[in-house]
Amino acid sequence: MSRGNIVKIFKKSLWVFHLNTGSCNGCDIEILNVFAPFQDAERFGVKLVGSPRHADAILLSGPITREALPRALRAFQAVPEPKIVLAIGSCACGGGIWYDSYNIVGGVQRFYEILREKLGIEPPPTFYVPGCPPKPEAILYAIGVVRGLLAKKQVAEIHIESLDEAMDRLREVITDEYHRVIEEYVLGKPLVRKVVLKEV
Amino acid sequence: MSRFKLLRKAISVGVVTEKYPYEPLEVPPGFRGKPRIDPLKCIGCGACVNACPPDALSIEDDLVEGIRYVKLFIGRCIYCGRCQDVCPVEAIKLSNEFELATDKHNDLYQVVGLRMIRCRVCGRFYTTYRQLENVLKDLPEEQRPYALLCPDCREKIASLYTSYARR
Repeated sequence: MSRGNIVKIFKKSLWVFHLNTGSCNGCDIEILNVFAPFQDAERFGVKLVGSPRHADAILLSGPITREALPRALRAFQAVPEPKIVLAIGSCACGGGIWYDSYNIVGGVQRFYEILREKLGIEPPPTFYVPGCPPKPEAILYAIGVVRGLLAKKQVAEIHIESLDEAMDRLREVITDEYHRVIEEYVLGKPLVRKVVLKEV
Repeated sequence: MSRFKLLRKAISVGVVTEKYPYEPLEVPPGFRGKPRIDPLKCIGCGACVNACPPDALSIEDDLVEGIRYVKLFIGRCIYCGRCQDVCPVEAIKLSNEFELATDKHNDLYQVVGLRMIRCRVCGRFYTTYRQLENVLKDLPEEQRPYALLCPDCREKIASLYTSYARR
């Protein structure tokens, strides 16, 4: 399901089911705030529903503990297609501070691997909302991105230094004098040369 | 409270809902938002990697190409700001940005690649150019040439000289 398709499918009211998979309740309180009058998410047609069978989207919070895993799998199966997932908070996005604990699955990515292996289900499109916890406005922004009201801002940033750039910086600091000292006092001694070069 | 009183109260209070998605939101001072590594300042010393509680920051050396990769995964960050506190060159900073929602997992990464320098004796990559530059500033003049050697070679040569001295 491409981005444009998601916007088209969820053009009208988006009903969400709040699925807590062992979070510390920080994200849950922020989710409740979103539906309170101050940051009123219901003006965008987003409604919190009590049953996964009524929902279009899952608001997933928590790093998915071992105890919560079977329940989470059942809840995922219960939501009718087409569905989307909003992974709320650092725990859901990448496992958070417990990513390598023994009793933690660790984020939706690893949860989806289990979903593929055990049930053979292709995971639904997922929106990641990082934050610990995310501000209520960050969740509102995510809903805006899902609905196509707002543009996505976060992009991967890769910067690799070029070799010339690196050497230019050092050329000012290291003079030929240093190289001469190394040549003379380190590489020049016959005993040093024997020991160093033999072992390397 | 009667219905009329309730209505009067509601009118007197007015609209409380904020206009956020349509108007930009001002965050409070000292807000800890998305961390960003300044790729022009980072020296690749790894202090932030040691300090990071959830291992959102990681460091990897490519010893074949000679590049040190500093990786930041915002999806695991807990916004504690420790990396900002320990950074010796103030390269990593928490910004005011909180609008991080994305539909691709890869968007949550930032990678900075820094070139590494070879040891003058054994030819192994041992540190980044920028870290060496930073270290050279504080070294006394007579010790500076030895910064061009990797720690192993430096140790060997130092032990050799001390053994000479004992005799």
